Amino acid sequence: MSAITKKIDLTVLGYAVLAILLFSFLFISQVGNRHLYVFLIGIGLGVSLYHASFGFTGGWRNFIEHRESSSLRAQIIMLGLAVILFSFFIGSNSWIYHSKMIGAIAPVSVSVVVGSFMFGLAMQLAGGCGSGTLFTASSGNGKMAITLVFFMIGSLVGTYHFDFWKSLPSFGGVSLMTEFGKVNSVLLQLSVLILLYYFIYKSDQKRNVNFKHTDIFDFSNFDLFKGPWPLILGAVLLVFFNVLMLQAAGHPWGITFAFGLWAAKIVQFVGFEVSSWSFWQLSYPSTALENSLFADPTTVSNLGIIFGALAASALAGNFFKASLINKKILIAAILGGFFMGYGARLSFGCNVGALFSGIASGSLHGWVWFLFAFIGSFIGVRFRRVFYS
Amino acid sequence: MKRIVYLFILTLCLTLAFLDHDSNGVAYNPLFHSHDDQTSGASQSISMPCGLGGSENHKH
Repeated sequence: MSAITKKIDLTVLGYAVLAILLFSFLFISQVGNRHLYVFLIGIGLGVSLYHASFGFTGGWRNFIEHRESSSLRAQIIMLGLAVILFSFFIGSNSWIYHSKMIGAIAPVSVSVVVGSFMFGLAMQLAGGCGSGTLFTASSGNGKMAITLVFFMIGSLVGTYHFDFWKSLPSFGGVSLMTEFGKVNSVLLQLSVLILLYYFIYKSDQKRNVNFKHTDIFDFSNFDLFKGPWPLILGAVLLVFFNVLMLQAAGHPWGITFAFGLWAAKIVQFVGFEVSSWSFWQLSYPSTALENSLFADPTTVSNLGIIFGALAASALAGNFFKASLINKKILIAAILGGFFMGYGARLSFGCNVGALFSGIASGSLHGWVWFLFAFIGSFIGVRFRRVFYS
Repeated sequence: MKRIVYLFILTLCLTLAFLDHDSNGVAYNPLFHSHDDQTSGASQSISMPCGLGGSENHKH
């Protein structure tokens, strides 16, 4: 009830609106219409993430520690919806441009196993994943801003070690749609998701007497502008915006490539050369490094998320809520951020680019990422107690 | 006051991005992923997870 009575932060809201107008003009006038669409989609993602408090870290931790499954169930519904919708669009022509849309298919490799495990563990230390770090840092969470800085540093170090991790055994990219056909791939993935949903549903019901299956559909406190939004609305909107991202960008939603790019740009700005590293000589990363940040769609969507979350937090009257940061929590934020960044480079993405978009695209690496990140989180919640006790 | 400092830091970061835009421009635009392999129908074999960026980079 208190959230409803909070005042809108007009200064922050004004800043966000001004920034959105400025960047929209910039993209139209100097970059391109598709970048504007990606930016607007990013804003939608930022508002949805913030108002639905949609994060993977807390949801996984609640299930691991208390078998409280609401967030995890919403994530599984989100994945199921995305698997169905993406199957209609992957490989077909976009509504927005005249070419085919491609899925997020990455190799199934030792580096994915190590990287996703590392990411899962680190996100519990930091208290946020890729999307969670971005939208909470944007809404004024100082601890997560520190995490974001070290996320960028970890990503850059990951690109430095790229050759080593690339040399480890790999099966290459495995697309379930290619292996089994679209229909079978969707049925197979939905079956696994239904089994998972049933397992966590039963685990929650068994442990928690107050378990309510309908909790994620609860609209009783819903407020469109101030939030909160129920988890199911967040799940549906994230799928909706990811489909739009696929249509506008030609590939699904991703976040963390931009973090490494931002760090590389900064170190180049102060005179340190990274373009000779093998990662930054690959065709896309090298092009991204040579061009304006505003040409990179991942950066553009991240900017949208930043301003979307900023505006949403201002509307909710929750911008910059001082969080307790002591020495131990600071170390957790630094370690968590660094190893999430490093892990994301090894595993070809984060909870969004690898897990959400990967599974939606029918990529086996998305499932491997899910499994090992969850195992990492299982251990991570125990490590977390050292820092947050 | 703290929120103003926070917004100032954000503005500083955005200024750096604008400086980068001014110095590098958008020589190759758009930085979207082209789907060159139109003939084989192997659209699933190339992709863009956020780890690597470009599509053709995944042939390893």
